[in-house]
Amino acid sequence: MNVPLGAYEGIVGPAVLRELRQLGEKLAGIRVVHVNSTREGGGVAEILEWMTPIMKELGLDASWEVINGNSRFFEITKAIHNGLQGANVEIPVKGWKTYEDTSARNFKRLRPILEEADIVIIHDPQPANLLRLCTRRKGKWIWRAHIDISRPFRPVWKVLRSMVEPYDASIFSMPQFARPLPHPQFLVPPSIDPLSEKNRDLPSAELEAVRSGYGLDPSRPLLVQISRFDRFKDPVGVVAAYRMVRKVAPVQLVLAGGGATDDPEGKAVLEDVLEAAGNDPDIHVLLLPPDAHKTINALQRLATIILQKSTREGFGLTVTEGMWKGKPVIGGDVGGIRLQVVNHHTGFLVNTPEGAAHRIRYLLHHQEGIDRMGTTAREFVRENYLLTRHIREYLTLMLVTLRDIKANIVSV
Amino acid sequence: MTPFQVKDCALLARMSGLPPAINLRELRERIAACSENVLFHHFCETTLRGTFDNPDYRNDFAVWSKLYLGDRVLAERLGILDPYEFSSLGELRAATLEVIDERLGESTMIPWARPGDELYFMEATTVVFDTGIRISRPREFAAAIGAMTGGSVYYHFLEARRRPPSGKDDFTAWLLENDDGEKNRPYIEALARIDFYFHTLVHLRKELVRVLSALEETK
Repeated sequence: MNVPLGAYEGIVGPAVLRELRQLGEKLAGIRVVHVNSTREGGGVAEILEWMTPIMKELGLDASWEVINGNSRFFEITKAIHNGLQGANVEIPVKGWKTYEDTSARNFKRLRPILEEADIVIIHDPQPANLLRLCTRRKGKWIWRAHIDISRPFRPVWKVLRSMVEPYDASIFSMPQFARPLPHPQFLVPPSIDPLSEKNRDLPSAELEAVRSGYGLDPSRPLLVQISRFDRFKDPVGVVAAYRMVRKVAPVQLVLAGGGATDDPEGKAVLEDVLEAAGNDPDIHVLLLPPDAHKTINALQRLATIILQKSTREGFGLTVTEGMWKGKPVIGGDVGGIRLQVVNHHTGFLVNTPEGAAHRIRYLLHHQEGIDRMGTTAREFVRENYLLTRHIREYLTLMLVTLRDIKANIVSV
Repeated sequence: MTPFQVKDCALLARMSGLPPAINLRELRERIAACSENVLFHHFCETTLRGTFDNPDYRNDFAVWSKLYLGDRVLAERLGILDPYEFSSLGELRAATLEVIDERLGESTMIPWARPGDELYFMEATTVVFDTGIRISRPREFAAAIGAMTGGSVYYHFLEARRRPPSGKDDFTAWLLENDDGEKNRPYIEALARIDFYFHTLVHLRKELVRVLSALEETK
């Protein structure tokens, strides 16, 4: 979906767009190439889908290239991905050879565009080796790590580090995700698109259709957690918190997410959740397809309180999405949830099902708190976590990197 | 008279290259070794983050001491440090180290954070935008500041103090430059009376508007 930049003016205001256009003027005509490993599916493709056209609209000569590979290559890159996130994975020499051969084949195809680019942004580990192959590069190369590589499995990191060290800069979502590297490491948190299917305003008829479709009672409070069925999201802990609250308040719970069908661990978690839910008609466990964006949007909007009771978390964009819908969030005191949920302002951070139950009960008794925190949460996201901030930071870091600016202040 | 040019700003954060601190001794070592840009980020640029009304402390070291080292005494002593009271960041660093050394001397055990709660040292590049808005007369300041973003208030009233040669906020510097027979003196004095460091940007903007509007009303 290509939305023109002007469509965001009503959401972020004219000043924000004016700043982006000022940055665009400074960078007009520069050739920017994004490279990742998939055109569809996954957070990175979602970002590049809006970022590339907006960069073009701002006057940059931006393009998005995708590397190709066979299933063996993607098995290897999946293992590298898991290894970087700390899993103990064995990647045989043959596996690394497959990775390098695929990089070489892709480089042959992409060579002219990569050699000529002023800025090349390589997303995640799959295409990271392209820099080593591009010996006649004339531009600056930036490695964008979308994943948490703070505690990698060392043998995997050792190989990847040799590939990413020669980059001119790297980008991480949070300081906690980064590793020491011998070049500037910028911090750019992710963002949400307020006009996407998952976040745009929905007419009340569509909300009501989802409400009745899942048999939710409009007269009773609704707790919603949207996340994969993954132990780190603690869905069983959410059910436990719900049960503690249910004794004293007529709440309903929706646990909705995907990722269980092709993932044995996810399947086991889903079974545990279903067992914990038993036959309670007020617990709705929904296994949604990956493209159920509008349903997720509606469920978040129907919620009284959003839960994200993770025990480990990346940035936690589901928290951002919930806050954008004007809801307070009760979230686990981990990862990027800490950046977003501020006690008594946008919700509450908790460590246990008991803590979650306590805060749910508190909020249910303080409707004005729900309203106030929801409003603050939405404004907090507007200020910090929309795609306009994201693109401003990309443009700024391109400017700083291209001009090799060392000063701590840059006038646009 | 050159009109006052209203600017806006945003930060681009990056890692400082220092390892994170997990305990009070490491915090001391990192503060002793970090660049002034890092110190400025954790003491002054914090105000550009978030918009909440009652943050306990305005610098990251005090917040971390309270939340993750669990040392409220240290948090209170660090929290009261006003970076703008020091004539240089070097002096601010010395004062910060003094507070930490005092606490280390009092402690029988070094306070530690849990793994995952380390303090990360960062710095930032400030990106400055011209808003195209101009102010021509001192009496226009109150209304213009009332309409400014937090970034503009920060850039002109706080960040400006770091910029040589004046070390003053931009409003005062402009009023001094364009003072005709001391007419601007009341504005300059009113701005100088604001105890600004412990305000959020939202409150600081309100306070600026309040003191400047009060001057107009007394005329």
